[in-house]
Formats: sequence, C-alpha cells, structure tokens
Amino acid sequence: MSTTIEQQHDLHATPAPRPRGTRARLLAPGWLRALWMTPLFLGIGLALVLGIRALAGWDPIWYWQPVLTVAFLTTAPLGFLAGIGCFDYWARYAVGTPTQPEDHSGHGAHSWRDYFRVNTDHKVIGTQYVVTTIFFLLAGGLLAMFVRAELARPGTQFFDPQAYNSLFSVHASLMIFLFIIPAFAGLANFVIPLMLGAPDMAFPRLNALSFWMLPIGGVIMLSSLIVGGFGAGWTGYAPLSTRGDPGSLFFQMGVQWAGASSIATALNFLVTIITMRAPGMTFWRMPLLVWANFTTSLLVVVATPFIAGSQFFAMFDRVLGTDFFTPDQGGYVLAYQHIFWFYSHPAVYIMMLPGFGIASEVISVMARKPIFGYRLMALSLMAILFLGFSVWAHHMFVSGMAGYLRVPMMITTLLIAVPTGIKVFSWLATLWEGKLHFTTPMLFALGFVSMFVIGGLSGIFLGALPIVIHTSDTYFVVAHIHYVLFGGSLFTIFAGIYYWFPKMTGRMYDERMGKLHFWLTFVGFNATFFPMHIIGVQGMQRRIADYAPEFANWNFFISVASFALGASTLIFLYNMITSWARGPRAEANPWRALTLEWQVSSPPPVFNFDEIPQVVGNPYEYGVPGARHAVLNGDRAAVEEEVRVH
Amino acid sequence: MLIVIGAVVAVVTTAIAIFIPWLPAQASVQRERIDFVFWLTTWISVAIFAIVAAVIIYCVFKFRVRPDDDSDGEPIHGHTGLEIAWTAVPAILVLVIGIASAVAVARNERIGPDPLRIDVTAVQFAWRFDYPNGVTSPTLRLPVDRTVLLRLTSNDVIHSFWVPEFGQKQDAVPGIFTSLVITPSKVGRYPLPCTELCGLGHALMRSAAIVMPNDEYESWLATAQDERTGVPPPDDEPEDEGEEEPEGDQEGQQDDPEDEGEESAEAGAALFAENGCGNCHTFAPAGAKATVGPNLGDLPDDEDYVRQSIVEPGAQLAKGYQNIMPPYSQLSDEQLDSLVQYLLRGSK
Amino acid sequence: MTAHAPAVDVHHGEHHGPPPAHQSSRVSAPVLGMFLFIASEVMLFGSFFTAYFFVRVVNPDAPGWPPEGFHVPVFVAGVNTAILVTSSFTMHWALQSIKRGNRAGLQAGLVLTLAMGLTFLLTQMLEYARVGFAPRDTAFGSVFYGLTGLHGAHVFVGLTLLTVATVRAFRGHFSPEHHHGVEIPGIYWHFVDVMWIVVYATIYLL
Repeated sequence: MSTTIEQQHDLHATPAPRPRGTRARLLAPGWLRALWMTPLFLGIGLALVLGIRALAGWDPIWYWQPVLTVAFLTTAPLGFLAGIGCFDYWARYAVGTPTQPEDHSGHGAHSWRDYFRVNTDHKVIGTQYVVTTIFFLLAGGLLAMFVRAELARPGTQFFDPQAYNSLFSVHASLMIFLFIIPAFAGLANFVIPLMLGAPDMAFPRLNALSFWMLPIGGVIMLSSLIVGGFGAGWTGYAPLSTRGDPGSLFFQMGVQWAGASSIATALNFLVTIITMRAPGMTFWRMPLLVWANFTTSLLVVVATPFIAGSQFFAMFDRVLGTDFFTPDQGGYVLAYQHIFWFYSHPAVYIMMLPGFGIASEVISVMARKPIFGYRLMALSLMAILFLGFSVWAHHMFVSGMAGYLRVPMMITTLLIAVPTGIKVFSWLATLWEGKLHFTTPMLFALGFVSMFVIGGLSGIFLGALPIVIHTSDTYFVVAHIHYVLFGGSLFTIFAGIYYWFPKMTGRMYDERMGKLHFWLTFVGFNATFFPMHIIGVQGMQRRIADYAPEFANWNFFISVASFALGASTLIFLYNMITSWARGPRAEANPWRALTLEWQVSSPPPVFNFDEIPQVVGNPYEYGVPGARHAVLNGDRAAVEEEVRVH
Repeated sequence: MLIVIGAVVAVVTTAIAIFIPWLPAQASVQRERIDFVFWLTTWISVAIFAIVAAVIIYCVFKFRVRPDDDSDGEPIHGHTGLEIAWTAVPAILVLVIGIASAVAVARNERIGPDPLRIDVTAVQFAWRFDYPNGVTSPTLRLPVDRTVLLRLTSNDVIHSFWVPEFGQKQDAVPGIFTSLVITPSKVGRYPLPCTELCGLGHALMRSAAIVMPNDEYESWLATAQDERTGVPPPDDEPEDEGEEEPEGDQEGQQDDPEDEGEESAEAGAALFAENGCGNCHTFAPAGAKATVGPNLGDLPDDEDYVRQSIVEPGAQLAKGYQNIMPPYSQLSDEQLDSLVQYLLRGSK
Repeated sequence: MTAHAPAVDVHHGEHHGPPPAHQSSRVSAPVLGMFLFIASEVMLFGSFFTAYFFVRVVNPDAPGWPPEGFHVPVFVAGVNTAILVTSSFTMHWALQSIKRGNRAGLQAGLVLTLAMGLTFLLTQMLEYARVGFAPRDTAFGSVFYGLTGLHGAHVFVGLTLLTVATVRAFRGHFSPEHHHGVEIPGIYWHFVDVMWIVVYATIYLL
C-alpha cells in the first residue's frame, strides 16, 4: 500500500516570490515588519495611556501599572502580530478592497524558513506548536530544577523567598498554559484534519493567529522574571496577587494571551469536526483522538472565559484600584477562587482528555486490536465533560466557602472516578489477547496508564472530604498533580510525539534512544514524585522555600531523583534533533494503522488529500478480515462495494 | 499466573502502605475519623492498583509479539457484562468512600455543649490567638480533651491554619470569619504552619500548638490574664513593664530574675518572639536568621526610626526591600519601648 | 475572525488547490464559528455576573444596591436600552434587504444601526462622566463599571464589525447569495443587544 502512496508526495503549491527592494521588504509581512511595527504599536499604547491620563487630569501622568499593562503587554504584542502578518487578510477585507485570491503561498513548508512565518497550513502550525511548546517545557523544567536545587537542603541555599516563589509560580504557569494545553493543541492541529479527511482546518488564518498568540503569552510570563517574577503561584489567589510584586501583572496578561489562543484553537477544532468530516465519517466512526479533542474543545470554549474574567478582576484591582477583592470596600475574596476554579478545574480535563485520545490511538494500533468498548470510551469522555463542570469547589474545601456545597461537590468529584475507571479498564481489555508491539509510543502509553492509575487513586484521596482537609496545600497535592499532569499528560504527549514523529517529519526516530528515554523518565519520575505523597501526608506544606528539618532526607532524595529526571529530557531532545535531521526516511504507514492520517505519504502532501476520501468503516478494525476504515483516491468501485456491504 | 502477579503487587503495595510511616502522630479526636477514611480509601486503592498492575504486567509478558509476527490480535469489540461491571463496582466503591467521608466530616464538626472559643487572626507572617478572657498569645495553647471552636480571620491575605497532628485545616480569609473544630486528645507540642501561600515569609510562618493538661492550662491562662490586667505575678517583683510574657515559646527567653536590670530587654525579647519578628528578620540575640526583611542587627541608632518602622513600616523602607510588613500598631507604648530598646541594644 | 469568507470556497488561482472539503453539517462553518464564539462570550459575561453575585448576594455584609449615596440613572439608561433594541430591528432589516437583493435597504439599515450603536456608546460615556462615582469607589462601583464596561467593549467590537460590513456594502460587495459578511456581524450585534438587556436588568432595575 505504501508504495502507491509515495507518489502523492509532490508539492502542489509553489512558494511566493520573495519581495524585492527595501520598501517592499519593510512592508511585506514578516519579522522585518514586526521589528518596526512592535515599537510603533508600543508608542501608540503609550500615547493612549498618557493621553487619557493627561486629558482626565490624573496624577501622575506617568504611572507604570497602566503603562505596562496597555503598552507593553497589550498593544506591543498586537503590533508584533500585525507585523508578522496575522491580520493582513482581514485588514484588506475590512477596508473593502477585494481580498487577495488565495494563492496558497501561505500554505505548506518548503524550507525551515516557512516555519518562522505566518503559515495557514495546519501541518506547519501543528509543528510550530509542538516545537514552541517543547521550548517552554525546557524552560519550565529548568525552573523546576532550580526549585529542587533550593529544596535539596533545609534553609536558604541559592534563592531568596521572592526568587523561590517566582520559580515555582513561573514553572507551573509555563507548564500548564504554555506546554501541556498547547502541546495537545499542536498535535491535534496536525492530526485532526488528516484524521477527518479534511484538507485543512475550518479557519486556517484564525489557526495561524492562535499559534502566534501563544509565544507572546510565553514571552510575557518568562519576562516577568526580569522584574523579579510573580510570587502568588499559578493560581494567583487574590488578594496576594493584587498587591506586592509587579510581576503578577505579567501573569495576569500572559494568561489572557494564552487563553485567547486556546479559545480560538478550540473553536476552530469544533467547527472543523462538525462541518468538515469526510463523507461516511459519522460521529460514531471518528477516531477517539477526535472525540477527545471534541470534548476538550467544548470545555475550552465554555470554561476559559472564566479564567480570563478572574484575571481581569485581579488586574483591575491592581491597575484601576477596583475593589472586587477588597473586603473593607464590599469586595469578596472567595469570589476569585470560585471564578478561577470554575475554569481551572475543567482545565484539568483540558489537560487530560486529549491524552486519553492519544493513548487510545497508540494502544489500539500497537496491540493490533480494536479498542475495547469504543462507544463507552466516547461516552465516558462526555460524562467527564459534564461532571467536570460540577466539581470546581473541591479545590476549596478548606477555603471557607459555603458549607453546604461540600458534600455534593465531593460526591460529583468521586463519581468522576467512574468514567475515568471505564477508560482505564477498557485500555487493559484492549491489551488482552493482543499482539503487543513495545515501541516507544506504546511504552509511554502503558507508562501513562499505570501512572495515571496512581494519580487517579490519589485523586480519590483528595476528593474525600476528611482526607483532603488534612492533605490540601501539602506535598500530597504536589505529588497528585504531577502524577496526573506528568505521568498523565506529559507521558501521552511523549507517546504522541513519538507516534506521529514519522508522519510529521517524514523520518524515523531512533527506537533504542526512545526506549532509554522512556525507562529513565519512568524511573526518575517515580523516584521524584512518589515520596512527595509521604512527606505531604506527614505534614510538609507546599510552596515553601524552607521546610522543617525532619523532611530533609526525603527532600534530598527527591532532588537527586529530579535531576536524573531532568537529564532524561536531554536524550529526548538529542533523539528528536538528530532524527529529524538525519534519521532514516519513514514509510507512509510504519505502524500499519488504519486511521486516515497514515493513508497518505509521510510527510503528508500540502493539501492532505488529492480527493476527499470516503469513509466506509470504523477506525480500529484490527484483526477483522477485510475491514477498511476509508477508501482513497477515487477508488469508486471499492467505495460502492463497501457502502453496499455495510 | 495472573493471580500470582496480582498477589505479589498487592503484598508490595501493602508493605508500602504499612511500613512507611504515612500519617503523623494522632493528637485529636477528629484525626481518628480522618485516619479511618484514609485507611479505608488506602485499602480500596491497594486492591484496585493490584488488579490494574497485575493485568498490565501479565499482558506485557504474555501478549508480547514475537519478532516477525505481523498478524493482528483477536478482534474483540467489547463485552457488555464486563463494561457494566466496571462501571458499577467503582461507582459503589466511591459512594462508600463518599458516605464514610460525609459522616466523618459531620461528626468532626460537632461542637458539643460548651466549646472553648478562640479567635485566630493571621497576618503576614504570624498568628495571633485571642482567648475569651482577653488573653492574647502567639502560640495556640489548648487543654486536652476539650472541644475547641476556632474562629479564624486574616488581616491581609489568605492564610491557612493547620496542625498535622490534629488533621484539621481551615483558611483564614480577610473579610470573613471561618471556623474549625478541634478536640485535642494528647498532650504535646505540635507544629502549626501556614499552608496557604501568603507571600515572602510563607515558609517561615510557623507557630506551635501546645496541648496541656487541664490544670496546667488553667494556671497558664490565669497567669497570662493577671499580667494583662496588671496584677503582678506572685513570684515576680513589681516592675512597670506591664506586658511581659514569662513563658515565651522560644528557648533562651525564660524569665531570669537574677538580672533585673535587663528586665526591659527581657520583655523586648519576649515581644520579639511572640510577634513572630524572627519569621522575617535576622537578629542574632534572638537566634533569628530569616531574610525576608532587613537584618535587624544593622539598625541605625535612631529610636524614632526604629519605632516608626514597627508601627508604620512603609514610611521609610530599607533599601532593596519591599513594603510588605504589616504595621504592628496594636502594641502598647510600653511594649514598643521594650521592643525598641531590645532591638537597639542587640544591634550595637 | 468573524467576518472573513469561508476558507473552503476560495478562488484557487492558477495553482492546484485543495480539494473542496466535504460539508458534513447543514450549518455553514462561519455561522457555527460565530455561535460558538458567542457561547464563549456569554461565559465571559458569566464570570462578571459571578463577581456581581458574590458582591451583592453572597457577601454577608453587602450594603444595599446601589449602596447609600450612590445613584444610577435608571431612566437615561432605559432610553439607551430602547435605542439599542431598536438597532437590532434595523440590523435585521438590513440583512433581509440584501437577501432580497435590495442594496439601498442594506445600506440604510447598516447606517441606521451604526448610528444608533454610536449613540448608545456616547450616552454610556456621558453617563460615566456624570454618574458621580468611579470604579475604585467600593465593590459596587467596581461591578457597575466592570459589567457596563465589558458590555461597552462588546458594543465597540460590534460597531467595528458593522463598520466593516458598511464599508463593503457601499463598495458593492454582498449579494442575495453571498452575505455572510452582513449576517455574521448581525448575529453578533443581536447578541450584544440581548446581553445589554440582561446587564440593564441586573445592574439598574433589580
């Protein structure tokens, strides 16, 4: 099959001619234009703030908080986006000139340069996402190494409390908002249109814009370290985040950019999945990765505005002097936590459901078996979606919120274990009687299942009221979130990257290094995070720069293990870089998978399919004689035959 | 084979559950119920984990593909009975945990007929405990076997009250009052850290909960009240430094009747300890080594400046430090004098 | 994001373009996108209403609404509400006109809608200048300015979209077959109107 597919791999679109002449180059979308438009918009922002302050007669006219918020964190990034070319099409549309006929020059990648400009091809955007988020993974990981270095011994070693608080706050914010959520979005961006049999996403230009908003959010959060960082944690609880260090503004605005990016992508996924499925691709024939991203996107669209709201309030309290969280002015402190967690609890599922999808793909293919209980798998995703909106207050059991909320919230929290359990048991049943191929993605998928079980069980501890009253805000919670976000999300992201690496790059990664990476990560991960359960229950609270001497031995052990864990990432990096550059050419379908993305060449043609495929069966029919998921390339006879049979 | 693996995993996880000292010592009635739910959940978790791990390990060895075997597995699409079972059984198990939890919490929050009521106030970065008779203490002293109702609030940001040995935890939130019920069951001294990130001094915002036999508690309370109302303690000579704290909770600050000339400084040392100054500042005479705020060993010899820095910390900031210290305007003039003298003497 | 042509029916020029995507839903992609975006916007308003709810209802020591010494101009805002609601009808008229091929009706409808939207926004700004309290004056002021300000920002966005539609209407775009560029800003404008009724009811009337 693969030999016939190889011939599809020719590039239909030619790159746009490069602009000639200084003026043309300065005006053409790209980094050069961004270079002068960013300061221009910065100036506009400054003029806006200072002008309004001068007109209104506010004193002093130069007040750094609004200046920073408006000019540096809002208009200057907008200038960058305009300069790099995110708005060109819409700007032409807005002034009523005929929009440029799409010549697809913004489509596809012909050289490495194309990855550094606004590109509307979902495959390029997917790769841009994944590479960018890995950069933030490394940055966030480095900060975690600093945190562990400080905690290796009691007392103050390297960082004062301000620096320490910033380290773990920026670490968590980067990992959550700039690594896990967008890394899943990146993988899905690459894979989903292919899986659906669509030529691209529904809104390719919006897709490009949502990618370019992401590094802005990340740069803002990282640059907070210049002014001393923000020390209120990634949760940014008011009123701590509305007073004190100036870095909190960077967090509050960085979240807005990352959140806007996230909403735009989710909206795009939803519209793509609903309106652009190939003929025959009913909802019950969609691969589980598509299902997972469908539910995730629903969560993002509905929940993310709440974190935007919570950060707006915190920012207004700081910049405009509003009183949302000022108790003696009628403000109500706990409102912040309710609004924040109404997003941030669903965000836990936003960070988990796409991983479930990846695990389902990998396990089914590598076990050479249909996924066990496909419909229940899809339905349990929807169950998690609905339950996920009714559990936010379990983060607030000791916060002093209304007492009657606690028991109902506890019950819904515990009930989420049921659909999650269904998924775990179904994966196990998929393995049963299978032909297991232990490739690197499979190892990470199995590592994910086993680690996620531990994370899920510790989640039950944190759902049960009396236990969580004892363990909340301790290292038990730190252990739990790392078991679900590292052992859960990060393991599935690794599985996904290895699994689709041949499709994305057209080359194979080094299997031996991949396996070494897995085993080092697996062992280092458990050695780092399992002991945190123990010290947490024993009484070590979280987010502390210094701890009681009785925890010194465990902490030293954890720090050493975490350095080994950090080092394992270097193997991954080395493998990815060398394999992308010089790895052996990948076949179109090295895993012998049925889903549509594997039925085209590696890497796929610029427009994915010469002709929209006809879907004729379920995506996981391994071992069923003669079963097909889809028919490509106008094989009309085969289509009619399949349609007749089914 | 599968059962053997399952048994081995179960034994190993049980050993981890039993031989690692998980929970800290039990020192309250509430902790007993918390521990019950904890162990109930632990055993359920051990069973589930053993099953899952056994299946994975078994599959890894049993169904590993042979080299060059390109065939597919058995096309099993599902099994309704199994699917119903693994929906229903976990649902029942978590409901059991849920009911046990709800009952435990309901019992843990029973106040009883005559609780001891104590007001807890958190500030960056210290605790203050106000007793019904007007006594104020930086440490929480409790009689054993009597239910206490804490009423918590905060003066600045959110803090959280926790004593691991009591198991109970509650945030102290500015603007509202929250409550917490504790019935200490064991005499002893337990750590009382702040568990909600509250700023630079969060890690050092530690106090202690001291559970005493009832008669000891009563006599402490009486002594503390006498001092507050100005009646001199019976074993002390009358001095005009009213609010001294002979049982200051830090070592080396016990009352020393032989050195009467240092009485003012003694009071200052006690105030230093009781107000948690050492949580943020370095000050050699008190053994404080924290670095959140400026080193108090380097104070200029300027009484007014030191006094102002205590009651109005934002007025003149030390270079390189932020305005995060809460104003200690609740101190009386005499207390302020003692504290300022103590600081100035120590910084020479 | 809201006012661009559907991605799939673009003109392909001389290159071999993508195969046209299969349309698997009766709703067109841009309209569905707009509805989902509005769902997201409703939730953003939801977060502000949550803050309102906590400040006004949950807070045990909440003062009256508005607190003593504060006054909100219920009548002026009521007139303003009427203006905004009327603009929804003119918007609808504009869309119906282009569906029947009546370009003059489209242009008149859009201009009228724009004018009423602008009037609303200006009245709102005048109200801010004369209302006598600022966002920093107690949580009531914060919530009042927060909700009306958030809504004002949405009116501004809606007006921007309508301006684009108007410019294109006068430049001869849109036809009875192709009028997404009017329909989608229109949907947004109706949302802005409905949202104002909710804001007006909760802030001024209740």
